[in-house]
Amino acid sequence: MSLYDTVVIGAGLAGLTTACHLQNKGQRVMLIGHGVGALVLGSGCIDVLGYQPVESVEPVRAWPDKLSSFMADHPQHPYSLLGETKINEALHAFQGLTETEYQQNGSENWLVPSAVGAIHPTCLAPPSIAKGHLGDTASMLIVGFEELRDFYPALISQNISAQNLGIETESLTLNLPEPGASKLNITPIELATLFEQADFRQQLVSVIKARCQDYDRIGFPAVLGLGRHAKVVVDLEKQLGRPVFEVGTLPPSVPGRRLFEALKHTFVQAKGRMNIGTKVVAGEVKDGRVTQVQIETTNRLKPIIAENYVLATGGILGGGIQTDDQGRVWEPVFNLPIDHNSNRQTWFTPKFLSPVGQPVSSYGVVVNDRLNPIEDTRPIADNLYIVGSLLAHADWTQGRTGYGVALTTAKHVADLLG
Amino acid sequence: MTTSHDLDEITLSIWEQVQHSADLCVKCNICTSFCPVANVTDMFPGPKFVGPQAQRFRNPHEISVDDSLDYCSGCGVCSMVCPHGVKVMEMNAKARYKLYKTKKWIPLRNRILGRSELLGWLGSPFAPIANVTLKLKPLRILIEGIMGVHRDAPMPAFSWETFRGWYQTVHKKSPQRVISDKKVVFYHACSVNYYEAFIGKAAIAVLEHNGYEVIVPKDQVCCGLPMLSNAEFDAARQNARTNINSLVRYARAGHKIVGTSSSCTLSLKSDYRHILDMDDADARLVSQQTYDICEFLLELAQAGELKTDFQPINASIPYHSPCQLRAHNMGLPAIELMELIPGIQIKHIQADCCGIAGTYGYKKEKHDISMAVGKSLFEQVKATESDVAICDSETCRWQIEHATGTKMIHPVQLLAQAYGLT
Ligand SMILES: Cc1cc2nc3c(=O)[nH]c(=O)nc-3n(C[C@H](O)[C@H](O)[C@H](O)COP(=O)(O)OP(=O)(O)OC[C@H]3O[C@@H](n4cnc5c(N)ncnc54)[C@H](O)[C@@H]3O)c2cc1C
Ligand code: SF4
Ligand code: SF4
Repeated sequence: MSLYDTVVIGAGLAGLTTACHLQNKGQRVMLIGHGVGALVLGSGCIDVLGYQPVESVEPVRAWPDKLSSFMADHPQHPYSLLGETKINEALHAFQGLTETEYQQNGSENWLVPSAVGAIHPTCLAPPSIAKGHLGDTASMLIVGFEELRDFYPALISQNISAQNLGIETESLTLNLPEPGASKLNITPIELATLFEQADFRQQLVSVIKARCQDYDRIGFPAVLGLGRHAKVVVDLEKQLGRPVFEVGTLPPSVPGRRLFEALKHTFVQAKGRMNIGTKVVAGEVKDGRVTQVQIETTNRLKPIIAENYVLATGGILGGGIQTDDQGRVWEPVFNLPIDHNSNRQTWFTPKFLSPVGQPVSSYGVVVNDRLNPIEDTRPIADNLYIVGSLLAHADWTQGRTGYGVALTTAKHVADLLG
Repeated sequence: MTTSHDLDEITLSIWEQVQHSADLCVKCNICTSFCPVANVTDMFPGPKFVGPQAQRFRNPHEISVDDSLDYCSGCGVCSMVCPHGVKVMEMNAKARYKLYKTKKWIPLRNRILGRSELLGWLGSPFAPIANVTLKLKPLRILIEGIMGVHRDAPMPAFSWETFRGWYQTVHKKSPQRVISDKKVVFYHACSVNYYEAFIGKAAIAVLEHNGYEVIVPKDQVCCGLPMLSNAEFDAARQNARTNINSLVRYARAGHKIVGTSSSCTLSLKSDYRHILDMDDADARLVSQQTYDICEFLLELAQAGELKTDFQPINASIPYHSPCQLRAHNMGLPAIELMELIPGIQIKHIQADCCGIAGTYGYKKEKHDISMAVGKSLFEQVKATESDVAICDSETCRWQIEHATGTKMIHPVQLLAQAYGLT
């Protein structure tokens, strides 16, 4: 008896979204993830296209206008394979997946401040982040805490000012009020749980209320609650009498964690099966079909059998692609072919944060328009689908297309299978 | 392309070197953001710091200085969420051993909590008296003062009759007992033997109903986990060796070993090998043949061999998957199994840990942390307004029952009920 219709391998955004869509369509889905993936590191915002041409320093505002030129420049990119309609359908379907009201700024990107006050162009953002939109000239006060290391309100506000956006910006760094006053050091998640306490918020408001009168909106590090986030924001806005927004912190990210928990909740509510902590170590292909995968439990390998298999193991960062010092590059589960140059010298450009990306980041699995992996032009297994940053030519640093690719490819597979 | 032949040759890779897995850490802090303890107390800086980061400073020839390590509950959430395969919890357990070794003493309280079997053995014959006296507040305050066992920590009730006693004197002689070529070994652990014999009986009933003869080896002892988590590795190894010697005979004959206690089966599967470093052929064989009972039954279901003559149970029941069960890395077989019962709705509570973590929540200085860790779980269980809730692990059941007043059962009890065996 096969217990599952589909096994999804990888618990990043691509895997979780595919799993949610399929489970909602009535499939029996097993989601297996070796750890939790880049979702809890990222901003929690969905980037679709942030820069075009990709080496441009000007962020894209109306991304649908730039899409065709991006596709023309990158004919092998997953967007080019699946088309603009699919991207829009995917964004729409994602918005219905969780209770968080991810917002779109019409046909424009949100321009939200990053953890260092740079502009982050992004397509869908939770309301708490969208309210920091830098396309809006309302003045802002950025508030931070000494105990939350690596979040510098002064740096953020100075960088925003330096970009001449016409936004009056100031910063304020405080010590944590009670009941956090004894802490020397605090992590974003710990601070998020403090924000969920009414007495902490009250103390905080009493310290900053008088000092925020001259500003239209108040920016806090993105730690405004975890499970009770919406309530925390409403309460702060009420007490401070003005909009409150969140600015991303360095990883781990609380908004990313919220998104992870929300998707997990959707999946589990729909009776999806989930196994986080386990690695898929092998897959078996016979006569053009995957017949099973093997997971590594604490004491033995266990076969997992389903009708369809979705591989969402991420790129080099996610563990979906392995490399070694000999210049080998491989996909460890099915040993799928990865087109690559075995001379490691060619993998990198001298600039670490190069806008055209590192060549090695484009390495991935080549697929047909059903997202089945192919060798030459023939599908290797017609019940195996590849989604997310494991795909070839899907380097998210080029043009900032990260979660857009994850969502679009997930939606495509859900449409094919559901 | 990988073939089935290759599959057999793949060895379990991640466990090979717990300490060396520190080198895989990229300092992303995912583990810290998920650690249930670090998020509720300042006493513990979190898994990244005390695990892979501190590991670099743990010279084998020098003393260990990081006392905060003692606040790690051993729940294993860090190892589960780490995307890079760092075995943080296992690293912490080993470092704690070193910490206590350099201190040269382990509090009497920890030694006693580490000996659940001795406690059970002392308590069972006096069950009625012991059960009443342990409920007396003044006595509990006294025990807290002298020993540091928190006055409010949950105390299970002793059974009058041990499970093994029942098996030997009643069940073995019963004409209804199933004798079959299909045999399975039951590792009952202390909780079933001394406190919850009814769970052992339910397990036997369900296994026999499916045509298995159940063997209960006489020479099995406490798995040793309570000693291990109280840094008594030598004592834990003695217990481990006794169990391995007892169980390996059956493993060699190809029999599977099942247990109802998820932390004890985890010891057999993993801790002996990966924390106590007893990675010999016998230990491996026992490990490979060990199953959580729901895992075993679900595999039967998958093979079409599980009886499905369940009577409907029309109820919605909350279920908590304990951290020690999730650490088996096998998924959540209990949910899939229970959902085979017609009419049942299993409400999977979203919480990482109940806080008790074996003996952790019993300690005076850690009880409040343990209750804070479990807070969200308790709230969710209460919100369901169900009279009964389900959990695979005994100390977690006791903790949740104690905190919420909800009657807690093991999944196998529900199965026994659905089969009409109780
Ligand atoms: C630090 C950081 C921040 C980012 N921020 C943003 C952002 O704010 N917005 C945005 O749009 N994009 C962002 N990106 C890009 C984005 O994360 C990627 O494009 C996207 O995560 C790809 O998602 P994925 O699901 O394909 O892969 P991943 O998120 O990498 O997930 C891969 C999953 O597969 C699992 N896995 C791997 N191998 C196995 C195996 N053998 N068995 C089982 N499981 C396995 C991993 O553990 C993981 O759960 C960011 C990337 C990084 C690294
Ligand atoms: S142990 Fe794993 S999760 Fe924790 S910081 Fe290191 S890599 Fe990240
Ligand atoms: S085992 Fe649990 S308590 Fe200990 S560090 Fe890991 S997550 Fe934290």
